[in-house]
Amino acid sequence: MPNTPVYIICSPRPLVGKTLIARMLTEFQLLKNGAVLAFDINLKEPSLLDYLPAVTESAEIDDTFGKMAVMDRLIINDGVPKVIDLGFHAFDEFFKMTEEIGFIKEATRRGISPVVLFIADSDRVSPRGYAKLQQQIPAGAMVTIDNEYVLRGELPEAFTAHGRTLHIGALPSFLKTYIDRLNFSFTDYLRGEGDSSTELHQWIRKNYISFREIELSLILPR
Amino acid sequence: MAKPVVIVVGADKGGVGKTTVSRTLLDYFSANNVPTRAFDTEAPRGTLKRFHPEITEIVDMTTTADQMKIFDTLNAASPSVTVIDVRAGLLSPALASLRDIGFLDAAKSGQITFAVFHILGPSIASLDEIAETANFMQGAKYFLVKNFINNTSFFEWDQATYNSYFHRIKDATELTIPKLNEMAYEQVEVSSVPFLKFVANKGTHDEAANYSFVLRGYVRHWLANVWSEFDRIKLTDLVGSTKGARITGEK
Repeated sequence: MPNTPVYIICSPRPLVGKTLIARMLTEFQLLKNGAVLAFDINLKEPSLLDYLPAVTESAEIDDTFGKMAVMDRLIINDGVPKVIDLGFHAFDEFFKMTEEIGFIKEATRRGISPVVLFIADSDRVSPRGYAKLQQQIPAGAMVTIDNEYVLRGELPEAFTAHGRTLHIGALPSFLKTYIDRLNFSFTDYLRGEGDSSTELHQWIRKNYISFREIELSLILPR
Repeated sequence: MAKPVVIVVGADKGGVGKTTVSRTLLDYFSANNVPTRAFDTEAPRGTLKRFHPEITEIVDMTTTADQMKIFDTLNAASPSVTVIDVRAGLLSPALASLRDIGFLDAAKSGQITFAVFHILGPSIASLDEIAETANFMQGAKYFLVKNFINNTSFFEWDQATYNSYFHRIKDATELTIPKLNEMAYEQVEVSSVPFLKFVANKGTHDEAANYSFVLRGYVRHWLANVWSEFDRIKLTDLVGSTKGARITGEK
């Protein structure tokens, strides 16, 4: 049985585009596999649950019950990809817990492929969060998101040492507003829009291809 | 033939975690391939026996018959290590009995290795216990265990007062048992299995179990911390075992 991927989209900073990437990745998984399970641990920010309620469950990790509700399901190799939209407020607690319970080691043992998608920012907190993850997450399971909408310039060097980088281009404001609508679906847009030369069409396709490359890197021997 | 080792785990107060510490010791020896037997003095129904039924016997240490059962078999019994979980309030009387039967003298002369794990409680009364226990400690390895597993506000005594008691016992060593997540602790209690089996996701008879991965993770992390304390005090050296590959539970 192939490994079940578990994507953790995170940043210790608010409003860096976690939910946007989680939405897109969830829709990509749904398109590709026909099934996906998303967890929204992000209730204090724009929420994945609002966008994709049919495949998203809200989760809290403030107490042990909440942690069990999420982690005991992430560790099941059932072939259904999991996507976690991890809010900035839960960043420290989540990774403290994963380290303590040995999540990465157990995941490997059970045929789960965790992938941490860390969204870089130019503040002082982000490099510290990134450095913490470096100690816990193997390079092969770490992807730094260079979101042009957040990082206007070049990706700071602090984020290039570990794992691969995925660039998300910035969209013009009117398109950003358009995709931020609660009823907007990336996949439906690709299917419905006949003109594949539109900026949004190409932007979605490019990101979907990047997600596919990440998946391939999990399958291919390192 | 290896020298017999007797480890007494006790306190004069109840609810301070004597049995928990005894359980971690039995798991530690099991993981280090040290043959061990245990006696639970909580007659008639012992808690330690519930977790380690194969190697634990319930005894009443106040009776001569049961004292014979423990101490007359020290040389004959194949496991070289004997762990005795002494019931609350029975530590000082038990040590007095050991003195009376000449056991403490045997320990002093080096015929037997004797260690006491004294689990401290939160109150100042624990300090008096130390003073009381100190009288019996010649020839014994004495470990003062600060048990934080219940996360109570332990050990808020004045440090100078504590030191004055602590230093009365020559070569006393302090040990700290860290806190374990409450739900994880509770789940192990409910499962009635050794910590090691819980971590390995196994039931009482080694059958596959379905414990929470999160709770198992917490127990594994905690047990590793406890064992690192045992490593620090060189417990395997004390019991005369050469440390080989350790079984970590999960397979």
